[in-house]
Amino acid sequence: MCSGASREEEREVEAGQAVPEKEESSKPSLIHPPPRRRSYVPPEDLQSRLECHVREVFGPSVPEDWQQAPLQENRLKYRLLARLVAELGHAVPNSQLHCMRRAGDVLGFYRTPVKDGTEIGELAATELPPNLKIV
Amino acid sequence: MTGRGSPSRFLTAVLHNGVGRYVRQLQRLQLLFSPTAADARGARQFVEEAAQDFARQHPDVVLYVSPHSGPGPAPVLRAEYLNGTVRDELIASKTSEEIMQLATKLANQSGLDIIRIRKPFHTDNPSVQGQWHPLTNKPSILTVQGPRLQPQ
Repeated sequence: MCSGASREEEREVEAGQAVPEKEESSKPSLIHPPPRRRSYVPPEDLQSRLECHVREVFGPSVPEDWQQAPLQENRLKYRLLARLVAELGHAVPNSQLHCMRRAGDVLGFYRTPVKDGTEIGELAATELPPNLKIV
Repeated sequence: MTGRGSPSRFLTAVLHNGVGRYVRQLQRLQLLFSPTAADARGARQFVEEAAQDFARQHPDVVLYVSPHSGPGPAPVLRAEYLNGTVRDELIASKTSEEIMQLATKLANQSGLDIIRIRKPFHTDNPSVQGQWHPLTNKPSILTVQGPRLQPQ
């Protein structure tokens, strides 16, 4: 996760944007998303939170349907994803960054819950027939 | 190669099982596997999908699922029978269906040794009216001995 964030920072350095760099370096909490992927349950008001973050990040250039807002520009993409990580505690893994092309994709990703724990542990908790014992 | 080089037994059932009631000879099945090893994937799928069905179909067999964490021995299905026989079957790199078939096969076996069976038949009552011998159906005077019978 950290290397993905720093790669985006390098791209921004090549683009030659000095001012946003300083803004991001002054917020260390956004640079290092949480490393481990624990269980995640999507909150009730996920859509409204996401919409408000999209509007903050994009500013005036949000299209009519905010879910169609393109994330082609790496600066905006990074800002949006970093805010969501800081708020929800669940990060987009590096392997799925290329799938996040619109705000709607990000919404879909954050809607899927993540289970932590073994299947066998869950199975032990359910009702089993009396002749099946786990450990 | 004769059969004398290897052990053999006669066809038999444990304590005449099946003549009266039938008692399943498999006492318990123990599924020992690792939760992370690659060759135990079939075992894990069996536990998740098919183990409950197997347990319901065979209510007189106890199924113990024992995942051991960390690198351990190969995944094995251990069957223990009422006569004390313990049989280990390797289930490494087997699919869930194959493990189900194997477990069903073990459940239908008795715990007797799997060696050459001398005759494919056995009976405790080989003759109902009496085994024939050369003096059957001959006049019984041929077998009588005694003082009344003297050569005249």
